[in-house]
Amino acid sequence: MGELTAQKMAEIIERGSTKRRPDAATPPRFAVGDKVRTRNDHPPHHTRLPRYAMGRTGEIVMIHGTFLLPDSNSRHLGEKPQHCYGVRFTGKELWGAEGHPADRVVLDLFDDYLEPA
Amino acid sequence: MSENHRHNAPESDIALRVKAMEQLLTEKGIVDPAAIDLVVDYYETRVGPRNGARVVARAWSDPAYHERLMQDATAAIAELGFSGLQGEDMVVLENTPEVHNVVVCTLCSCYPWPVLGLPPTWYKSPPYRARIVREPRKVLAEFGMDVGDDVEVRVWDSSAELRYMVLPMRPEGTDGLSEDELAARVTRDGMIGVAPV
Repeated sequence: MGELTAQKMAEIIERGSTKRRPDAATPPRFAVGDKVRTRNDHPPHHTRLPRYAMGRTGEIVMIHGTFLLPDSNSRHLGEKPQHCYGVRFTGKELWGAEGHPADRVVLDLFDDYLEPA
Repeated sequence: MSENHRHNAPESDIALRVKAMEQLLTEKGIVDPAAIDLVVDYYETRVGPRNGARVVARAWSDPAYHERLMQDATAAIAELGFSGLQGEDMVVLENTPEVHNVVVCTLCSCYPWPVLGLPPTWYKSPPYRARIVREPRKVLAEFGMDVGDDVEVRVWDSSAELRYMVLPMRPEGTDGLSEDELAARVTRDGMIGVAPV
């Protein structure tokens, strides 16, 4: 890999570096409105499933398309591109009695993080 | 604080660490310091929340643009010339009387650079990141914004590769304003979702 020059940097700023990949060969496992549960296995490596949202039940609200999986890519284990979904959780589901009844949190979660609920 | 005093104070840990990193990357021939200068200059002088304000003002003024922005935010924002790093895959969140949107990145500091520039320090701070998902109404109140109990607060944790910008509600009494005048009303905090416009 050559030196990162000002010229290369300018190109990166202008073009960006999308993590979106061509659509996965398989259709999304979930549809908008589906209930899903997040896995709860606290991996020791990089992941984009925050701990506060592990083992929680939410609802698919957006289907974003196919993106590389940071868990795999960050460990140089390949891009493992897969569907990414906007998943909405209630404040009550995340925080119990402390949660406000009209609070919602939406996270962008990868297929590997989810199972049907 | 006088200039003298500041020069005598030891540099913060993070400043020293950044200096050490930059020196190492330069010495090893990985990064040309000119590339770093370019990034700093670009985001200090060319990109910032005025870009996002143009997007908001256009959406408030032009229903067809508003429609495109909600359908494909990345393309609609690029129409105004804003695109690139950390704005590759954009989503715009529209505030309504029923739903107030607010953006955070609990895992780090993801932020839509082409429309908002670089994030403010508080956006990157652990207290904001931890609290806005758990007690958003308290945090918003500390920013000076009271949200009624009947209004849904929808917090968007930018946990993957999508980048979010809030489309605030157009203030009342702005019917006669031009797009430029509207853009001048739009604030960075309004587009993160911690303040009304």
